Amino acid sequence: MRVTRNLLWLVPGIAILIALPLVVKSSFAVDIFIRILLFSFIGVAWNLMGGYAKQLSLGHAAYFGLGAYTSTILQIDFGISPWIGMLAGGVAAMLASLPIGWLCFRLRGPYFTIATIATAQALMLIFLKFRDFAWGAEGTTIPNLGSAPLMMQFEGKAAYYYVVLGLLAVGLTITWLIERSWMGYYLVAIGEDEDAAEAIGVNAPRIKRDIYMISAFLTACAGTFYSQYIYFIDPATAFSFNISIEAALVSIVGGIGTLWGPVIGTVLLETTSALLQSWLGGSVGGIQLTVYSLILMAIILWRPTGLIGVATDAYRRLASRRPARA
Amino acid sequence: MWETLAQAVINGLLIGGIYALVSIGVTLIFGVVKIVNFAQGEFVMIGMYISFFLSSQFGIDPIVSLVVSMPVLFVAGVLIQHFLIRRVLGPNDMPQIFLTFALSLLLLNLALMLFTANYRTVHTSYSDEVFHLGGLYVPVAKLIAFVVAMGLSGALWTFLHTTDLGKAMRAASQNRDVAMLMGINPNRVFCVALGIALALAGAAGSLLMPFYSAYPLVGQVFTLMAFVAVVLGGLGNVMGALVASLMMGVAESLGIQFVGADSGLIVVFAMLLLTLAFRPTGLGGGKAR
Repeated sequence: MRVTRNLLWLVPGIAILIALPLVVKSSFAVDIFIRILLFSFIGVAWNLMGGYAKQLSLGHAAYFGLGAYTSTILQIDFGISPWIGMLAGGVAAMLASLPIGWLCFRLRGPYFTIATIATAQALMLIFLKFRDFAWGAEGTTIPNLGSAPLMMQFEGKAAYYYVVLGLLAVGLTITWLIERSWMGYYLVAIGEDEDAAEAIGVNAPRIKRDIYMISAFLTACAGTFYSQYIYFIDPATAFSFNISIEAALVSIVGGIGTLWGPVIGTVLLETTSALLQSWLGGSVGGIQLTVYSLILMAIILWRPTGLIGVATDAYRRLASRRPARA
Repeated sequence: MWETLAQAVINGLLIGGIYALVSIGVTLIFGVVKIVNFAQGEFVMIGMYISFFLSSQFGIDPIVSLVVSMPVLFVAGVLIQHFLIRRVLGPNDMPQIFLTFALSLLLLNLALMLFTANYRTVHTSYSDEVFHLGGLYVPVAKLIAFVVAMGLSGALWTFLHTTDLGKAMRAASQNRDVAMLMGINPNRVFCVALGIALALAGAAGSLLMPFYSAYPLVGQVFTLMAFVAVVLGGLGNVMGALVASLMMGVAESLGIQFVGADSGLIVVFAMLLLTLAFRPTGLGGGKAR
């Protein structure tokens, strides 16, 4: 019953998403769609660990950057396709998450968050320093091969749209599967109260390590996609603190620890930012994040469950107002 | 060689004094209110801009403008505790982390909108003055900043140990529930803690102004420094934060001197990661939670 009703929503939704770039021809609009899908995907990856297990990382840029750099180095120095580079970047991020997690999980709550910020910043500084193998602070442009689907390069933006749509679908499927598995329940238990979860036999360090690896892998895939999409890489964009911020922000605004929360949050925030940009132009620096932070504060103070919480509350109120059938 | 080393240590200690003002604020808020203030560095930034505008509009010396920046930020701290932080105090970490984080984003980007990303400097008569000590140089502006910072830290220590309110704050930091049972009004104590912490950040801003540029992002490095110092010094430990800040100033300065101009932060991060790996409860021991 529930499944069929969900399918009823899902099928037309997917059809609309697939048809969208065929109908909308403006490359400005498609660019916004791509940004929405990309940040939804990053948010979904963050939400696995930050949302379900409440391990609030503000250092996911570390994995975004590692993914971007791994695939770019493999492509430029060894001629390996970014499709393979994306997987390689994901594996590199997974491996990096082991020592980083080993360090950061020694702390809890806010100090975990700080430690994750520090590790991402440290990685950025390392890539700024080592110019021999990663082009230092100037970064590099990725050679444009024209239409080369095997090298993840396409003419026109529509193909990029489908790639990132596919990534988001993978991310959502993984979340959906985890939500329904023993791991999902363990994660929520850890998020509610880590000590209590351990007391009833949840192996918290192992679960946190595993979910961190999955989250890192997905974030790295986003990094590869992004550097291929903008044909450019440097430490400041690949390890940008703003990536870490947005990953967390979209999930919290949309609804932390929910399947669709990051997607809904991204739609709201990216649309707001696109509207602000078209009204004010690029002239006023800082306005986008000012508005984001106000939205974030409002959500935290009045609706900590996010927009999904707002929607379910409104639905319940509507449902209870309806006269009960006898 | 020895002179270079001594010079680096002096430079590090002097800037470490400023870091101490910021970290003492963070550790005080953590100890008493049990939250981590991600916006602490942004209040340093506000202190710097207050001093900058007082100096450029009215010609007031940045060190003197301390008497404006400290009370203004004290009031800001009381208001922030009363209207914002009070509403998210509870067993759940998430809203607390993201409230102060949102505050930091907001202040930083408001500053970017209002004051632009330009670097603002104040030139005082003593900005370039140097005081010789044998073969070593001691910049006068930094020395004044260090002395005032240590004076303020000492004043705070005296306040915490001699006055009733200070004792109430220490009691709340040691065991909040028992302190409440003894009749300590939590919101009043929390408001004062926030006020003092922000006033110290404002003082740090004013003291920096004669030798440091103000720009919207300037606070971030101070927040990071303070976090590392607070972890190193043991969470909630005022004395530990002070000592750790001075150590970090020296470590940063040695990094700049012997590794390279842009490696100061790498040394600091390395210190944080090594601490987490080997002494996650801080150098002096204690409880990390």
